[in-house]
Amino acid sequence: MSGTLNAKSTAGRPDPWLVTATLFLGGFGLIMVLSSSGIMAERVYGDTYFFFKRQLLYTGVGLVAMAVCMQMPRRLLYGMTYVWIMAALALLALCLTPVGFSVNGASRWIRLGPAHIQPLEFAKVALVLYLAYFFARKQELVRTFSVGFLPPFIVTGVLCVLLLLQPDFGGAVVLAGLLFFMCLVGGTRFSYLFLSLLFAAGAGWLLISSSPYRFKRWTAFLDPFASAQNEGYQLVQSLYAFGSGRIFGTGLGAGKQKLFFLPEAHNDFIMAVVGEELGFVGMSLFFIAIGFFLWRALRICIKLEDLQDRFTAFGVTCVLALGMLLNLAVVLGTVPPKGVAMPFISYGGSSLTASFICAGILLNLSRRVPS
Amino acid sequence: MAQDGQGRKDHSRVKIGLVAALFALAFAGLWVRAGWVQLHLGDALLTQASRQSLAAEFEYGERGRIFDRNGEMLATSVQANSVYASPFEIADLDAAATAVAKALSLPRKDIRQKLASKKQFVWIKRQVSDREAAALTRADIPGIRLTTEYSRIYPNGHLAGQTLGLVDIDGHGLEGVERLYDARMQPGKAKFVVQRDAKGSRLYLDALGREVNINGLDVRLTLDTHIQHAAEQALANAIAQYKARAGIVLVVEVDSGDILAMANQPFFNPNAVKGSNPGQRRLRAVTDVYEPGSTLKPFLFAAALEEGAIETDTLINCENGRWRVANKTIRDTHPRGWLPAHQVLRYSSNIGCAKIGLDMGADIYANYLTKLGFGEKTDLGLSGESAGLVMPPAKWTSVDLAAISFGQGIGVTAVQLARAFLCLANEGVTRELNLVRTPAPNRPNAAVRVFSPETAATVLKMMRDVVHEDGTGRTARIPGITMAGKTGTAQKAAKGGYGDQYLSSFVAMVPADDPKLLVITMIDEPQTANYGSMVAAPVCREVTVRTLAYYGKVSETLESVVAERVSVDLLADSPLDQAMALPTEHPETDTVPNIQGLSVRRALELLARRGIVPVLKGQGMTVRDQKPRAGQPWPTEQQTEGTDDVFILWLS
Repeated sequence: MSGTLNAKSTAGRPDPWLVTATLFLGGFGLIMVLSSSGIMAERVYGDTYFFFKRQLLYTGVGLVAMAVCMQMPRRLLYGMTYVWIMAALALLALCLTPVGFSVNGASRWIRLGPAHIQPLEFAKVALVLYLAYFFARKQELVRTFSVGFLPPFIVTGVLCVLLLLQPDFGGAVVLAGLLFFMCLVGGTRFSYLFLSLLFAAGAGWLLISSSPYRFKRWTAFLDPFASAQNEGYQLVQSLYAFGSGRIFGTGLGAGKQKLFFLPEAHNDFIMAVVGEELGFVGMSLFFIAIGFFLWRALRICIKLEDLQDRFTAFGVTCVLALGMLLNLAVVLGTVPPKGVAMPFISYGGSSLTASFICAGILLNLSRRVPS
Repeated sequence: MAQDGQGRKDHSRVKIGLVAALFALAFAGLWVRAGWVQLHLGDALLTQASRQSLAAEFEYGERGRIFDRNGEMLATSVQANSVYASPFEIADLDAAATAVAKALSLPRKDIRQKLASKKQFVWIKRQVSDREAAALTRADIPGIRLTTEYSRIYPNGHLAGQTLGLVDIDGHGLEGVERLYDARMQPGKAKFVVQRDAKGSRLYLDALGREVNINGLDVRLTLDTHIQHAAEQALANAIAQYKARAGIVLVVEVDSGDILAMANQPFFNPNAVKGSNPGQRRLRAVTDVYEPGSTLKPFLFAAALEEGAIETDTLINCENGRWRVANKTIRDTHPRGWLPAHQVLRYSSNIGCAKIGLDMGADIYANYLTKLGFGEKTDLGLSGESAGLVMPPAKWTSVDLAAISFGQGIGVTAVQLARAFLCLANEGVTRELNLVRTPAPNRPNAAVRVFSPETAATVLKMMRDVVHEDGTGRTARIPGITMAGKTGTAQKAAKGGYGDQYLSSFVAMVPADDPKLLVITMIDEPQTANYGSMVAAPVCREVTVRTLAYYGKVSETLESVVAERVSVDLLADSPLDQAMALPTEHPETDTVPNIQGLSVRRALELLARRGIVPVLKGQGMTVRDQKPRAGQPWPTEQQTEGTDDVFILWLS
């Protein structure tokens, strides 16, 4: 296996279309963060550009991270798989200690000097690297239960438990989703997958029904207008925003929902602002943009010869694709609200940097696509 | 192994393709969903969204309040319910009219007529009582709604009523400070309103999304409630005693030009506009023009001294009380022969003044009067202010000049007179009067030197003799305090000349050598006595004593001692402790009366008499409960200090 790795390491060119798509999404995100946060920032911090300036900084950090990941020798990236996953476990565990920083009762952040980092975003990448490594190296054993099935499930399970303790149900669902898709592609038996899917669904339902807070959010999603002033508030405001956008939108910066109606307008619900200000036309163009990005990414996955390369590329693609899917599904009211950021677009250093890291890894691997 | 790996690789490629298809399907689904929400549901959502974000038509804020210089509240707003109808929503006109008429006790015919209107919106009744509002809510008539408005109340009743002015039912200032600062006090309108949380706490935003305070801005006056109160009380007593038509008292702080009190009798209670007449609403200190009489003489002397036309001891022949100018005879009340100039002022000789005026000439004298601000509005800005009446000097005949020299034939307002005396008190430099502290008046510094400091000091010395020697102002004397004063007893012009009605006035400045306080009193048409020395001087004296006592410059004990010693026959029958009590129709008691069931307005007035501004709890227009309860002793001053819930009224 390691022989193949060395033999094929001929450095090609990174996929220029993927670079373009990445930069486009990053730039668009900057504009939307400014548009959606300006008024709120002005009021709360007395500086219209408060969030924009920070997002600009995070974009810089993200671009550097992307460049590093792009140039990083694969041996280093792959060789440190266990380091990454242990670091992810440690960081998630740190959230629960006093070092952690909690907002609204959820300790999802770690204080790091002036910045707060959200370990989940990096844990996704670490998990994907680990799973890709696992499925590539243990290919012949994957179909067995004890060696091929248990380790990835246990690792993912531990991460999920740490997330649920924060509590971050949405994060756990995303990790479970990553595991599912990696197993699916990695070759885990369908019967195991099906059983675990059933098991996950059962566990999920138990978790939802056991916590009144989650149950309320669940029912709110089914009929947000029934509790428009309570649990359904966010969703109703999000739908108002999309509805107000109509075909061409109110114009960039002219949206009204972000005027404090829409909580977290620059954050998880930034797509609602896009929908309001750029309308259905803008949304369609955005769908095309992310569609193009994912197409380039998946094209790289399929073309990669090496299994670990392919699984890694597929995994990071999944990280981004699942983020985009879940975020859109939440803001459009098709799944219960979970705090999932829109990769590249939402405000937030961790999410943005992790997204750029994913893009960097994809670009790194894209050089190994045989032309 | 390679073979095996190769085989599985193809497998994973297919699976990746499968996942890609799944993703594509999911994104397509979301795209359709976006289209559905934005295009199909768009209109409905847009309507709902704008309904929640646009502030309702009647999202009124609270009108700015008015405070005195120490922050005592003079005018505020309380919430009240108003009833309006959306006629197009009413199906059964007759039933609705009957129900509304019953709930509001209004004639059914009028209601029906209003409900039959084609308008979108009709007021049924503004600022209804809580009982009526409750009845209406119970009746639950479609198309009939309640909204919250603010109604204006003046906690101190008639205190400074004309100065404060009044507002109409829509909250627009019509008179006084309410009108002058209407724009400032007007509540803003929010473009958007945000329901911040499930509890319904609201946030008002402007078009740019910034939070706005839709309450109007407050206004802080220079008036001092205590001094205003003292002035009104003294004025009311004098008016009652001399059966006068009207009266004005002005108290001005010399160093700042701040008007501390501006009392106008008859009083006006802005809480009860309906029962008032225009005569009560007049802010006489700025609107009414009087011939001041002798109170104008100090300016003649100042001008003459400044011009070198006289010295303090220049001898002037006062002609033993009769002197002809052209074809008119001028008379003096106290006939004198030759007098040095300073005694001409002390004894207020008209003949002596006429001679000084004639000697100086019309142009020079008129120039001084203009510089002092006569014939020109003050910059207080209050509506209805008069510029007074000063003829151009070119038209003055020698008779006119003689008359104007002793204060007849010229029309001035009380504030003009105050502004002119402020110049004398301020070492000969003009100073504008202030009525408002916040917002700070924005005007260029237009101070002009009219008299030299020596001239001003000399005139003040002469005016000191008016009070402290055997002058006309002896009745105003306060032991231990030097006062510069001048009496005035002006004949009022009537049809075809001067009649038998008078304006009695007095100007007091204390201390005499470096005045800090200026008090002007004008009593219009007193019936039982005429002379300024008798009618107006004691008012000035009382107001001065009480102001100085309030500032701690004279002791409270001095106040009563003084009252006994100086108040000859006039003040003897109204000792000060009695004078301290406000003219009130309710006998003062030692215990708190029962206020329950009274309207808020009435209760506030009642308590204001005791100098208490209660804390209002709850909403509504009637008092449901009170603390302290009826029969308990009044809360004392010590208790009032520092705490603001000494007296609490619960409303319903």
